[in-house]
Amino acid sequence: MKGMAWPGRLPLAPPAGSQLTWGELLTIAATYFSVGAAAAVVLVNGGTDRWIVIASAVLINAVTTQLAYLAAIDAGGSSWVAIVSGWLVATRFGLLALAVGPRLWPRGWRRAVAAFNVFDPNAAIAAREEDDDTARRVFTVTTLFLVPPWFVGSAVGALLADRLGDPQLLGLDAVLPALLLAIIWPRLATAAGRRVALGAALIAAALVQVAPGGVPVIAAVAAAGLVWLPERRP
Amino acid sequence: MITWVTMLVLAAGVFGQRLAGMVAVQPDALPDRWRAALDAIPLAIIAAVIALQTLSTAGSLTVDARAIGVAAAGVCLWLRLPLAIVVVVAAATTALVRLAA
Repeated sequence: MKGMAWPGRLPLAPPAGSQLTWGELLTIAATYFSVGAAAAVVLVNGGTDRWIVIASAVLINAVTTQLAYLAAIDAGGSSWVAIVSGWLVATRFGLLALAVGPRLWPRGWRRAVAAFNVFDPNAAIAAREEDDDTARRVFTVTTLFLVPPWFVGSAVGALLADRLGDPQLLGLDAVLPALLLAIIWPRLATAAGRRVALGAALIAAALVQVAPGGVPVIAAVAAAGLVWLPERRP
Repeated sequence: MITWVTMLVLAAGVFGQRLAGMVAVQPDALPDRWRAALDAIPLAIIAAVIALQTLSTAGSLTVDARAIGVAAAGVCLWLRLPLAIVVVVAAATTALVRLAA
């Protein structure tokens, strides 16, 4: 497959001609380090063995799944109910993979590696590039600045949980939504982008109290259809 | 708490969904109209995740310090401040509102 592989090393800087910046890469790294550490503290304080916390950061590779499982157990659910709720919140990663997959690697081991590493920021950053080759490069470099800091943060949080105290006191739970808002911010400049984002947020908020965890976000995908509404001509 | 077995079951299910998503669409056979909608899916998902992480706790709607922190992040973005500042302002505002409450 010509044009599918790089001639040299993995990209470790924002690719030329992309919208990705160093500020974004470094903030993603810092954010995922703190999110990993904060989640690990919550999991260890919830009674999970610290080595399982570290292994699950690597193998599950999805913080919301770990926290959704814990929340379902705390709410008195059985293991299977909790496992299903952990899977459900990860369905969004499958949908993100569905959205960006066709633009990344159509087949082979790279596709499996990319699938394992689909997160919110790298998918959104790849999706905002026009050109598929640039999308592949920004996906790769964003992943390299996201996943290793997340592993290290999880390990630090798991090993130092007793000494770190309550992550909420530092406001760390506002860090991820703020980062995600910044990533989609450029797309809110268009009317279609605003319609999709606002529609999705309203659907999710409307369903959160009545639907099981994960379902509100899956339902919010319907808002993507709002791009099909005709643009108003001035 | 999470055990080794539940961890492996969770991991298999999450990877299976990611892989299924990745192999579901054949890139060559995609009309532009669907491609535009596919491109909007990450935007929709992330907007929904932002709404839930800002306005809900364990499945119920709540407005607390986070909402003020994320709103402060929105003001920073509107002022075109650098991303690192946006994120730090969100965390600091949330922490300060909690401290004051």
